[in-house]
Amino acid sequence: MIGHERDTGDKARAPWKSPVALSIFLHGLVLVVALAGWSWTSPANDPPPPSISARLVTQAEPEPSPVVDTVDEPDRDQERQQAQEEQRRKEQEAERRRQEQERAEEARRIQQQQEKERQQQAEAQRKQEEQRLKEQQAAKQKAEAEAKELARQKAEEQRRKEEAARKAEEEKRRAEEERRKQEEARRAREEQERLEAERKRKERERQLRESQLEALAQEAAEEREAEERRRKEAAAAKARQAQMLTESEKYRALIRDRLMNEWYPPSSATSEMVTVLRITLLPTGELSSVAIESGSGNTAFDNSAVSAARAVGRYPVPDDQQVFEQYFRRFPIEFNPENAK
Amino acid sequence: MRNRAYRPDIRRSLLVFVILSLFTVPAMGDELLIRITKGADSAIPISVVPFSESGQMPSGDKVSRIIQNDLEMSGEFAPLPPEQMLSLPSRGDEVFFRDWRLLGQRYVLVGQVTSAGGTLNAQYELYDVSQEKRLVGATASAPASASRSLAHHISDRVYEAITGVEGAFSTKLAYVTLERNANGPTYRLQVSDVDGKRARVRLESDEPILSPAWSPDAKKLAYVSFETGKPAVYVHELSTGNRQRVADFPGLNSAPAWSADGQSLLMTLSKDGNAEIYRMNLASGDLKRLTNHWSIDTEPSYDHTGNGFFFTSDRSGGPQIYHKASENAEPRRITFGSRYNARPRPGPDGDYVYYVHQRDRAFHIARTNLESGDETVLTRTESDESPSVSPNGRMLIYATKSGENSVLTVIAADGGAAYSLPASRGDVREPAWSPIVR
Repeated sequence: MIGHERDTGDKARAPWKSPVALSIFLHGLVLVVALAGWSWTSPANDPPPPSISARLVTQAEPEPSPVVDTVDEPDRDQERQQAQEEQRRKEQEAERRRQEQERAEEARRIQQQQEKERQQQAEAQRKQEEQRLKEQQAAKQKAEAEAKELARQKAEEQRRKEEAARKAEEEKRRAEEERRKQEEARRAREEQERLEAERKRKERERQLRESQLEALAQEAAEEREAEERRRKEAAAAKARQAQMLTESEKYRALIRDRLMNEWYPPSSATSEMVTVLRITLLPTGELSSVAIESGSGNTAFDNSAVSAARAVGRYPVPDDQQVFEQYFRRFPIEFNPENAK
Repeated sequence: MRNRAYRPDIRRSLLVFVILSLFTVPAMGDELLIRITKGADSAIPISVVPFSESGQMPSGDKVSRIIQNDLEMSGEFAPLPPEQMLSLPSRGDEVFFRDWRLLGQRYVLVGQVTSAGGTLNAQYELYDVSQEKRLVGATASAPASASRSLAHHISDRVYEAITGVEGAFSTKLAYVTLERNANGPTYRLQVSDVDGKRARVRLESDEPILSPAWSPDAKKLAYVSFETGKPAVYVHELSTGNRQRVADFPGLNSAPAWSADGQSLLMTLSKDGNAEIYRMNLASGDLKRLTNHWSIDTEPSYDHTGNGFFFTSDRSGGPQIYHKASENAEPRRITFGSRYNARPRPGPDGDYVYYVHQRDRAFHIARTNLESGDETVLTRTESDESPSVSPNGRMLIYATKSGENSVLTVIAADGGAAYSLPASRGDVREPAWSPIVR
């Protein structure tokens, strides 16, 4: 805030007092001086070559040393001599000066000439150099271009190569992929086939098992049925057998039931005891006679059998006279307890 | 199955019949065998017709009534109550078979009893109704005071004529009763008829009496009495009442069993440290040790051969029945059916051994067929003990619980109908069935 206020205060100054203006002015001044300096100082750049030649020149002068020695030699007649000498010396001096002047002129001229030549030479050299530089530059550029081209070509080549390699790689990869896919497909197919075979095998086994189970179940069912049948036969022998058996068998079963109800095996009975009776019936079913055909050896047992046979008041016999005559006129009965001790 | 085996015969005979009938006139009758392998499940229907009486009859049950009861007790007979009879014949010529046949009767027993000069004479006839045939016709006599003996004798004859097995109705039972009163318990060793009648106390004690055993001649009883404060084995002559303490060793003296010749006793003694079975010669008192095992061996009982014996041993961990075929034979384990089988009593024919058998926490009487090893539980009661087989092997007596008391029950040896003996006061236990005395 404060800075801002001060800025505001600066703005209040006159434009020419502003640093920008001052700067422009100074720059301008510097530019002018520079320009002036440049033009003024530019000839000053030349002297170095004369200084070089001057030094060379000075070394080529051996005279000054004897002059100094002469001055230092004291003599009585010196006045005159000195005057003479002075005169001569002045003359010499003038001469020397003049020669010197000439020599300087000459040197300057030569120097100028030399300078000119040198400058020309330098110019030529410069130009040559420039040319050389140019050429060099051109050559360099050319080389650079060539190098660039080469690089480009190389890069291109590289790129092509890479591309080719890439393509080859790609191709290879694709081939590989293809091969892999084929392999995979083959494997999948084989797996499929294997699974199929397995499935078929299992199916066959299952069917076999099922058929076995079925057979077992069938067997069991048959067994059960048989059991049931046996039970029924035993339990309801009369009704069942009456249906199953032939006419004579039917009556045989009826007679057996009656005898079983009438038979009281004695306590002494054993499963080894067998008594066979032969009975004779009248066509009405009445008992005509009973005789022991073979005894058991146990009187009580034999008696129990005869008693049972006689206890049946009227035997169930078929109405069919032929069947009666054939089977029921006379027949044997065997008594043999299965469940006795 | 067997019927089927005959079927080919029938077919063949049919064929033969057909062929024969083509060439000849009336064929002769062909064989048609009927096999009967199973009899009626019910008891044999028999009618014991009340005997006619003449003269001074002794008081008490009538002879025919005692016979009827005997036959019923056997479980093999179902006597017809006299009130259902259509007639009451006392002689064979008065029997109308048609009547008895109508009543579904198989046998009829008729008879007369006359009393003269203190003697009872019985004339009796047994008829087979279906055969209309007399099976037995006999007379028997006895002192008037022994009318029960006369009746049991006739029962034996009837039983044997019908079943072919010697009757055991004239044998005796020995058992121990326990009566508790204000003065403490009273133990009584008693002997009675098989129907529980004519019971007589032979020994009375404040201390327990156990394991009565009949001598082969049925004249002596061996038993264990605690009368001296410790168990000892006694031999007691019934006719004289003479008693002899035969085994009074330190420790256990128990479970006497007679040898067939009556010369020695098997018994359990622990005098050598462990309960083992010994044979004692009664004349000399010599002992022979017959078992030697760290477990308890007890309750010996001679088998039917008289050489080997059954006994109880817990050498397998719990009591089981073992048999030694001879005194020196290796014991053979008989029972496997449950964890507790004890007190073996062999049947007289050597085909079964009877014992106490635990099943589902209840104690039953069971038997094992020694040939097949098959085990049959015979009783439906649940606290059964002390089985004893009748000498004819047809009946079994054992003690069981009836309410608070122990009672004796007779069943058919194959597990038939049960018959409870009339109980005297208090507990009745330890029954022993006597041999048949000839």
